[in-house]
Amino acid sequence: MFSKFATKSPWLFRINTGSCNGCDVELATTALIPRFDVERLGCKYTGSPKHADIVLVTGPITVRSEDYLIRMLDEIPEPKVVVAIGICPISGGIYRDSYSIRGPLDKYVEVDVNVSGCPIRPQSILDGVAQAIVIWKDKIKQFHEA
Amino acid sequence: MAGFFKIAIRNFIKGPTTDPYPFGETFTPKKYRGIIAYSPDLCIGCSTCEYVCPSGAIKVVEKEDGSGISFSFWLNTCSHCGNCGYYCPTDAVFNSNDFHTARHQSEKYLATIDDGISFVQCSRCEQKMKPPVEALLIRAYDEITEEVRHQTSLCPACRRLEQFERM
Repeated sequence: MFSKFATKSPWLFRINTGSCNGCDVELATTALIPRFDVERLGCKYTGSPKHADIVLVTGPITVRSEDYLIRMLDEIPEPKVVVAIGICPISGGIYRDSYSIRGPLDKYVEVDVNVSGCPIRPQSILDGVAQAIVIWKDKIKQFHEA
Repeated sequence: MAGFFKIAIRNFIKGPTTDPYPFGETFTPKKYRGIIAYSPDLCIGCSTCEYVCPSGAIKVVEKEDGSGISFSFWLNTCSHCGNCGYYCPTDAVFNSNDFHTARHQSEKYLATIDDGISFVQCSRCEQKMKPPVEALLIRAYDEITEEVRHQTSLCPACRRLEQFERM
């Protein structure tokens, strides 16, 4: 019964894997300031990976953050939707082929939506989250049927 | 206290400040650097853009069948820095205002711009060469006469020969 209501409000969780902080600042502005209100889509930021539905990953996955990323992704319950924010987790961006980069993100987890940009526009993040919500509703439906 | 009420009433009249996107239209600054746009009419195939691109998003190579130069650009690694547009001598590559960069994972390697220029033949020796670009001609000559048109239809080797014959 609760799953019917739960699909209307996915909770967002963000992981910084050695990002330059540009994308994180944009994520914070999208969520926090009323101008680009991500909460209109029913989303809410959460601090715990155990409550997360949609995961937003920023950063090119440095060697130091690799273990933390894997551990964090394991803690997030299924079904989850992974959104790569910025060009770093998608392809490595300007850090590609560096000695300290273990990306891209789709080596570790099945990515659903890519939002490219350096940093991304808040409007693009809203686009990506809106696409992720559609995918998440499909996933929840499949999860209950199975 | 009166000041507070003044602000409260003014904000009440102004309405919400929330940007209506994605449910409505949004604003885009004129100088916003969005997705790259490429116009093959202006391109001279110098591959400066490939050289200055910090993230290796642009590839300018000669086509395998030798019919021209291909320009390919992978959007998912472009950092929208605008270096390509800044260094392009003819403004063939520039940043458009488009910011719609959210894509599904299945389109990760499909989000590209594939275009290019095709070679023309030299009017004298029929060797393949890059076509002359109108924008550069306008910048180089005060007026484009028939003589200039004839010169630009020759390959560099033939042009040198012709200049020598005239002397």
